[in-house]
Amino acid sequence: MGKKAAPVRVIVSLVVIAIIAVGFATNAGIGTISAFGWSDISLLCPLGALGTMLASKLLVPRALIALVIAVVLIIIFGRAFCAWACPVPLLQRLRNIFKKPESKTEGLPTPGGEAPLVKEPLSANGSDAPEALVADAVVMEAREAKDAKKEAACPGNCGSCAEKRSKIDSRHFILGGSLLSAAVFGFPVFCLVCPIGLSFALILLVMRLFGGGDVTWSLVIVPLVLFVELVLFRKWCSKLCPLSAFMSLLGLLNKTFKPRIDDSRCIETAQGASCGICGKVCPEGIDPRHPELSEAGMNECTKCRECAVSCPTKALTLPLLPKK
Amino acid sequence: MKDPFKNDEPDELQDDAMREASQGEETPDAHKAAVPLAAPAAMPGTEEKKPLVSRRSFVLGIGGVAVLGGIGAVRYVAPHAPLVRPPGGQDEERLVSACIRCQKCYEICPRDVIRPAHIEDGVVTMQTPTFDFSRSFCDWCEEGNGGVPLCVSVCPTLALELPAGATPENTILGKAALNKDWCLAYKLIGCRFCYDACPYEAMGLDDNGRPYVIDDSCNGCGACESVCVSLQNGSISAGAIDRAIVIHPLDEQGNIVYPAYFGRKEATNG
Repeated sequence: MGKKAAPVRVIVSLVVIAIIAVGFATNAGIGTISAFGWSDISLLCPLGALGTMLASKLLVPRALIALVIAVVLIIIFGRAFCAWACPVPLLQRLRNIFKKPESKTEGLPTPGGEAPLVKEPLSANGSDAPEALVADAVVMEAREAKDAKKEAACPGNCGSCAEKRSKIDSRHFILGGSLLSAAVFGFPVFCLVCPIGLSFALILLVMRLFGGGDVTWSLVIVPLVLFVELVLFRKWCSKLCPLSAFMSLLGLLNKTFKPRIDDSRCIETAQGASCGICGKVCPEGIDPRHPELSEAGMNECTKCRECAVSCPTKALTLPLLPKK
Repeated sequence: MKDPFKNDEPDELQDDAMREASQGEETPDAHKAAVPLAAPAAMPGTEEKKPLVSRRSFVLGIGGVAVLGGIGAVRYVAPHAPLVRPPGGQDEERLVSACIRCQKCYEICPRDVIRPAHIEDGVVTMQTPTFDFSRSFCDWCEEGNGGVPLCVSVCPTLALELPAGATPENTILGKAALNKDWCLAYKLIGCRFCYDACPYEAMGLDDNGRPYVIDDSCNGCGACESVCVSLQNGSISAGAIDRAIVIHPLDEQGNIVYPAYFGRKEATNG
């Protein structure tokens, strides 16, 4: 139980940022995530590719090719980008620094992008298996109580907590809006406020500030916009991000790397006991054991592996291909 | 100082949009007021199918779209002043339309003369490529890539795209303008760095050995600006806030657009 998926993801995202920062400092032409690649070869952000073609009313061959590749990658890996490469969850982790330590023990898995919080209570209790299991049980109880409280507080007809999250939500409006605004106003409007783009813009602004004395109000405005987007709107990823919406739609076609439960090892099926940890730790609100209880469809899976690493009997895997 | 993400223009339509946006974002109860589309199924007791979109999602989504609309309108409400653009970016409309601010051109530039535009340069144009000639100039990658601009070849969205037959001589990035108030040569110090640096024979010397710009030959490469010492330690002219020779962008009619500080027009080109 000592294992965590979150630190691995953090390291991977940090490596991505480091590679891009090296690109800023050199003339390699690596680009940001908006156009990641090497020199002339770029894997464009699919939203950027669509936006720029809609805005400039041009068919851009490189953007089209990049779009097709991006679509194929999303169909293979689902929303893995969100968990493994996107800098936004990293920035959202910064929010946790300011939280009081005791709030860790009530780290409820929220169906947002807040994966990082979730694993803390499970792993904070050391690596000794039996002890950890007891501690986990305590945590689980606390969580269940919290869940019950949450449900009691809910009038019952809000439809957002108990029921499955609809396939279409506010993100999809933003997705439509960003494509529409690009076409109407003739420039990729969303690119201006995209927190992924702004994260790298901020890194570049800071590098230029110290590297070349480039002083600009952007250094104030960009962090401010990021703050509004990611701190005031805590659920940017699951409620507003159009890229997440794009991937969740294509994720409906995703058949690979899906959580698979080995029934002969799962506590619920093999021992008839209740467990539900995999569903509780999922930052997206997916319950791999009880899909009917999931708040979100499997298309929202970010392949973050939280469910796999927290499964007490290691019954859950994310295999390349689904079982025949 | 303008906040790019709030539009405070007295535009009625936009005002509405912003109000709606703030409703969606700040007050979760506000959705009771409006939103006819997604509302009915939330009524308790009525046995209806689950709505495609929850009310909250609908409000939040529409709010977000309205904010995007507000930002988009900035392009027309508060158009930005022209900027000196890298080769292939002379069609301002096209550059702003196609650029996704990926910073590839910035990175690849072997002389490091491209810089991302500041928010002061215009909200809509923020992070798009412009020039910083303080240390070097644009040689069309003569040294770095045999005369084929790398910024153009790496641009993945055709935001920087040279028209057929474009050459350094016929692609006007901007025009140099010399400010006689700040120029050391006009204080009879005998400086002629800009004259010596110009690769396009666009500088001349008058009878007193003072440089002037030959407008018709200048393509705005920035060589003169990059070597101008008028703002350097020990030689700074009183009141100078920029170098004495600076590349200025052209507007759509091809006229030089001077910055606000460039007060005296007669003190510019020889």
